[in-house]
Amino acid sequence: MTEKRSVAIHVPVLARVEGEGALDLRIEDGDIRELRLRIFEPPRFFEKFLEGRHCTEIPDLVARICGICPVAYQVTAASALEKLYGVELSPWARAMRRVFYCGEWIQSHSLHIHLLAAPDFFGCNNAIELARIAPGEVRRGLRLQALGNELMDFFGARSVHPVGVRIGGFHGAPAPARVAALRDKLEAALPEAEALVRWAAAIPLPADDQDFISVATRHPAVYAIEHGDIAASDGRVITPEEFDAHFAERHEPHSTALFSSYHGQPYLVGPLARLNLSADRLPDDVRALIAEIGFALPGRNVFHSLVARAVEILLALREAHRLLADYRVPDSPWVPVTPRAGVAVACTEAPRGLLWHRYEMDGDGRVLNARIVPPTSQNQARIEADLRLSLLNFGLDRPDDALRLHCEKVIRNYDPCISCATHFLRLKVERA
Amino acid sequence: MKPVRILGIGSPSGDDQAGWLVIDALHALGCANGKGVVAGKLDRPGAGLVALLEDAEHAILVDAMQSGAPPGTLHCVNPADGPLPVAELSSHGFGVLAALALAQALGSLPRRVEVYGIEIASAQPGDAVSAPVRSAIHALAGRIAVTACA
Repeated sequence: MTEKRSVAIHVPVLARVEGEGALDLRIEDGDIRELRLRIFEPPRFFEKFLEGRHCTEIPDLVARICGICPVAYQVTAASALEKLYGVELSPWARAMRRVFYCGEWIQSHSLHIHLLAAPDFFGCNNAIELARIAPGEVRRGLRLQALGNELMDFFGARSVHPVGVRIGGFHGAPAPARVAALRDKLEAALPEAEALVRWAAAIPLPADDQDFISVATRHPAVYAIEHGDIAASDGRVITPEEFDAHFAERHEPHSTALFSSYHGQPYLVGPLARLNLSADRLPDDVRALIAEIGFALPGRNVFHSLVARAVEILLALREAHRLLADYRVPDSPWVPVTPRAGVAVACTEAPRGLLWHRYEMDGDGRVLNARIVPPTSQNQARIEADLRLSLLNFGLDRPDDALRLHCEKVIRNYDPCISCATHFLRLKVERA
Repeated sequence: MKPVRILGIGSPSGDDQAGWLVIDALHALGCANGKGVVAGKLDRPGAGLVALLEDAEHAILVDAMQSGAPPGTLHCVNPADGPLPVAELSSHGFGVLAALALAQALGSLPRRVEVYGIEIASAQPGDAVSAPVRSAIHALAGRIAVTACA
């Protein structure tokens, strides 16, 4: 009889993720005794910083939560307050918010696919090694990322922590002079994104089959990005205001990020969850491409998130190209708002998944208290559940280095943004 | 003619302005734009630096650095001298050397690249540049003007 090994693996710092975390894995008698994704990046107290701040400051304050997905934070905060203040955005501002957000999806997804995730599936340690064997694909990824950044810069004056959004719309409307060139670039990028989808679908991703609940916003007419209600794969549709009746956050001693659960269960947010719930909202030719590459939805292999990101890059490019077609400078890029006391709630789809904001405001427009539930903390319990299942499927008797790499692949695949969530990976494996 | 590209990398905080102020000093010396020279300021270019170097023949990058040397010390790294010291990559940590290593792997590094690091003391928001860093900025701008704009 083969002796069951007892092993402890510690990954002290996880590479190619946003922020600082670690993984502790203890295997005893061939069984996982302990598996903890430890997020130790210090809490950032953003919600506390927001207290007492005026509503006009919120979009720029929350943009600072993340350098990769600031638009998600700005747009979610603005949407929540606009709802409370009874403000109807102009059609121009509504459309341009979506374009702005598309820029962030294109930038964030391109970055994750090419610089963070793909090296794992080509036996490379990093994007520099990947660039040596797939230079054309990496160049294409960098071009797409740059185009996403350019869209963010177009509305927000810079791509990192942009400053364009205000409650009621945008601070300014970009001059039309840049639009024609930008649309030409978007049009030229469409075949590149289609090629990216085909390339992503051909990457030999690990086989896996897991049962999980997908959660994402869903919109009656379009693929949900900047608005919608919350849909779950068990069929529930939840308004943003009903979030607390279905989702709970809890502290775990090993993490500075809160863990979220949906009716007591871990759940998936992010690109695969969105495709699982809203593939019918994609344009026909994008759906045809998904069918052509054999991407079966709803998907049960979370590694297919990489393909989902590529599909969403194509969608975002198309949306930006479509919505900029009739671009004109509006009479005013914003509508005036009058603060009132109450509770402001909204959710949108950050590149990494559902982002929910809640602000209790006083009558002068100041924050009494704030709650922000980012995608990574929602995925945290799902990542741990996935690791457990993936490791069992992968085989616990594999060498420590192989276990460590597999764990890192699983975690990176979620594109965790620990800086957003703390509010990543050191693997520590113990075999006893 | 393929341009000489001079890029100053920095932020508005204290000594971290060094890269930007070298560009300002080059403007004052009449060596920032024209005559085949294109100079610009960047904050966190990340992998975007690759595209900015693509059509250059000669690139000069200036950034702040902290190695423990006295503030104002000038460091110079030439990628032709050997492999670039790149730490583990994340999008938060995709720095100038990682971007240069990526450009190198893609075969798009300009033929001549000089990376200057000005040793800084602190980078507190709202602070002015410290005296030794200010001296180093002007010394470096003078040196770049001689090689790039002569």
